Amino acid sequence: MENFMRMEIKALLENVAPVRVAVSTFISNLAITIDELMDIKTAVSEAVTNSIEHGYDGIFNDESTVIVNIYTKREDYDDIKIEIIDMGIGIDDIELVTTPTYTSKPELEHAGMGFTIMETFMDEVSIDSSKDSGTTITLSKRLKKKKSIV
Amino acid sequence: MTYKYEDGNLNLSLNEELDMNSCKMLRTVMDGYIMRYQPKECVVDLSEVTFMDSSGIGLILGRYNLLKLIDSKMTILNPSGSIKRLLEVSNISNHITLRCE
Repeated sequence: MENFMRMEIKALLENVAPVRVAVSTFISNLAITIDELMDIKTAVSEAVTNSIEHGYDGIFNDESTVIVNIYTKREDYDDIKIEIIDMGIGIDDIELVTTPTYTSKPELEHAGMGFTIMETFMDEVSIDSSKDSGTTITLSKRLKKKKSIV
Repeated sequence: MTYKYEDGNLNLSLNEELDMNSCKMLRTVMDGYIMRYQPKECVVDLSEVTFMDSSGIGLILGRYNLLKLIDSKMTILNPSGSIKRLLEVSNISNHITLRCE
């Protein structure tokens, strides 16, 4: 069976926690372990935080939003795909921003680990970005357990 | 967050989800206690922290660097399984002592 949930938030850091809760509630009825749930929660938190902190850096206004779409597919294994979409400034150099410990904001104590964490905790991370038209991050993960247990 | 100071040991117990939103506020508060007590050791207790992302790593590294300046040690206490994995991915565990009790 396929299912999805779509959300749109104003690009404010205080909205990242509610997104995490909504995502983990939506996927909690899949054949998911606590570790997998935490991995996904963490990766989503990184991506949404990036959109707010970097995507809308310097151009934030009342219309600045982040869209989060979650798609699940339940077959032999459960598959989860999450898109995090912003309409911000886009990423100039994707190779640079995905380099571990690189950050454009060291003075704000960003660890520069966001993409490394997404790549470690998810099976696949894809970045689609163009200057001035925004960024879409797609996070995918296949859950390890067969669904027969339900 | 709660704090306790005793015999050169400053214990900072965090009890919120560590993301960019909470870390922005927490780093000022934690630095305030560190500068006020100038401890020999600072224990950051994560027993009550149920979620952390890379903002938490930034928070810990920032405090670690400040403590190093005043010749002080840092210990991370009781990180959950998933937080421990996050600390390992970011190589923090090479510099900072982790303790579980």
